Amino acid sequence: MVNKSKLKMALAAEKGTDFKKLKLQKKERLANKKKAAKAPVEKPNGKNEDEWEDVEEVEDEVADVDEEEGDSEEEVEGPMKINFDEIDESDSDSSAGENDQEPSDDEDDEDIPMSDLEDLNDEEKEDMIPHQRLTINNTVALTAALKRISLPISKLPFSEHQSVTTSEPVQIADVSDDLNRELAFYAQSLSAVQEARKKLKAEGVPFTRPTDYFAEMVKADEHMAKIKAKMIDEAASKKASAEARKQRDLKKFGKQVQVAKLQERDKERKQTMDKIKTLKRKRQGADNETTNEADMFDVAVEDEIGTKGSRKDRQGPNKRAKKDEKFGFGGKKRFKKSGDAMSSGDLKGFSSKKMKGVAKQRPGKARRAGKR
Amino acid sequence: MASVYKSLSKTNGHKEDGPANGVKKNKQRVLILSSRGITYRHRHLLNDLASLLPHGRKDAKLDTKSKLYQLNELAELYSCNNVFFFEARKGKDLYLWMSKAPNGPTVKMHMQNLHTMEELHFTGNCLKGSRPILSFDAKFDSEPHLRVLKELFLHIFGVPKGARKSKPFIDHVMGFTLADGKIWIRNYQINETEPSKVVPADSEDAPKSKEKSSGKSKETEISLVEIGPRFVLTPIVIQEGSFGGPIIYENKEFVSPNQVRSEIRLKKAGRYNARAEQGIERLAKKGELGLRTSGGRAAKKDELDTAELFA
Repeated sequence: MVNKSKLKMALAAEKGTDFKKLKLQKKERLANKKKAAKAPVEKPNGKNEDEWEDVEEVEDEVADVDEEEGDSEEEVEGPMKINFDEIDESDSDSSAGENDQEPSDDEDDEDIPMSDLEDLNDEEKEDMIPHQRLTINNTVALTAALKRISLPISKLPFSEHQSVTTSEPVQIADVSDDLNRELAFYAQSLSAVQEARKKLKAEGVPFTRPTDYFAEMVKADEHMAKIKAKMIDEAASKKASAEARKQRDLKKFGKQVQVAKLQERDKERKQTMDKIKTLKRKRQGADNETTNEADMFDVAVEDEIGTKGSRKDRQGPNKRAKKDEKFGFGGKKRFKKSGDAMSSGDLKGFSSKKMKGVAKQRPGKARRAGKR
Repeated sequence: MASVYKSLSKTNGHKEDGPANGVKKNKQRVLILSSRGITYRHRHLLNDLASLLPHGRKDAKLDTKSKLYQLNELAELYSCNNVFFFEARKGKDLYLWMSKAPNGPTVKMHMQNLHTMEELHFTGNCLKGSRPILSFDAKFDSEPHLRVLKELFLHIFGVPKGARKSKPFIDHVMGFTLADGKIWIRNYQINETEPSKVVPADSEDAPKSKEKSSGKSKETEISLVEIGPRFVLTPIVIQEGSFGGPIIYENKEFVSPNQVRSEIRLKKAGRYNARAEQGIERLAKKGELGLRTSGGRAAKKDELDTAELFA
């Protein structure tokens, strides 16, 4: 009680209240009440149906408490903590009842508002009964009303009521998660249908509608046509969008391919140019005096670019053929080297450039330096 | 078709005699009506529900919202023992009253998230007046007030056997689920399809399975398609009598839509107030610093001010 607010402490001191005493009194009252409530439960009540048993018990208790105290049937719901150590006679079977009867006579002594509870420490909080808005939940009247109207479902054949209750309560983790919630509802209904069908078939009640049975439906044909149209529309639009997406992707991809191809071509050209350049350099370094530079050059370039295997191929039989051509192999050898009309008409070796006697270009400085 | 119906109803008639001797028959009639001032959606929902309840009697809108006990007389007039009443408030909030007519109890619930059957994403359909299978969550048996609710749903939404316009086949299921302190109601069509033939071929000989499918003893696969409507109910109050009598249950967790709206408005007002206050504070601060021409403190006269120097 030390950590109650200062103002409260002062007030208490003025009034001369002893907190400990109050607390004890309260506990005592609690214990008494519990005893009073428990006593009537002991008598056997034979009218209980097997499945409703525990509920009935609770009612009896509540009814007894009500009789004794002549009080309203209002109850406080909410977290209720009871010091079980204080109750010498503890009954295990009626834990449900305790919640129901607690607070009814606590109205006369002061209720502690919730705001004050924050000042207290935990052990003291245990004994307090928080003051809350009262809820009306008159279980006696509710069960009476239920009894008045209820159908004897257990006695009726299933086809009379066609109601199925799930064996386990449906658990929905998050009600705002639409998909899982609807899935839970669907599963509940589906299991109910399966069970109901079994029962109905056992009772010989027709279940499936024959295909040639036509009757008025809940939704008219025009409405169903609308639904169908909408579904078709939806499917078509989905398909169209998928197609469009595919086309778009293809376009994007096609562009990529084109770019890659161009790049490759560019690279290839660059490579050839490089090779040509290096070759040129080599040639220039090797023999400056070659007159027919272009001719030699061409062959060499082809050799350089072409595969090495083909070059080797060419060297074998080609050499022979050339030698045969030059020196002769079989056939007439006479007059082979003499000129004729063809050779005199051949202007292969003719070059106006050479005739003019143009001086050869002097190689660059670096090249000259390199040669030395 | 008439012959099919006749033969089926004949077999039904034989069945009915049995239980009728011992237990009294399940006889329900529902008076379906609304108050004035419902919106078109509410009206469509009411029509949908009326079309699903062949044992219902739809009546004109009730003029009053305060004298609901008149509904008892009305129910008596139409020999209905259930009342299903839509009460609209402020042209937007819908409350559903369900009552057992002469003696109660009565349940008042708040209806939210309603979707009518007209909406095009509900693709199912069922026979008008076929009897539904009612599927309840096990949580309905846990507390007395929930059991009362379940019983009322059973009476009102369950079409009694042999009701006037009911059809002999079962092709839809209504689900009642408790979640988050609310009752969620869904209506599905039962879609039966022949199971794929791959499965029986594995397990059994071909002729045997063929015989089975022709003999119709084979179980068809069941799938559900939603028909609508769907809505969510929050129980508010249970009265002992029919539209009267003491309140025997009150839902503490229920927050009225008026309160919700007023809180939203207050929050908005709070935002404005805070802004306005800030503005005033800013003005005051400026005044303190002598930055305002009118109001607040005047700036201290500087000795080196031109007006001072050349006075």
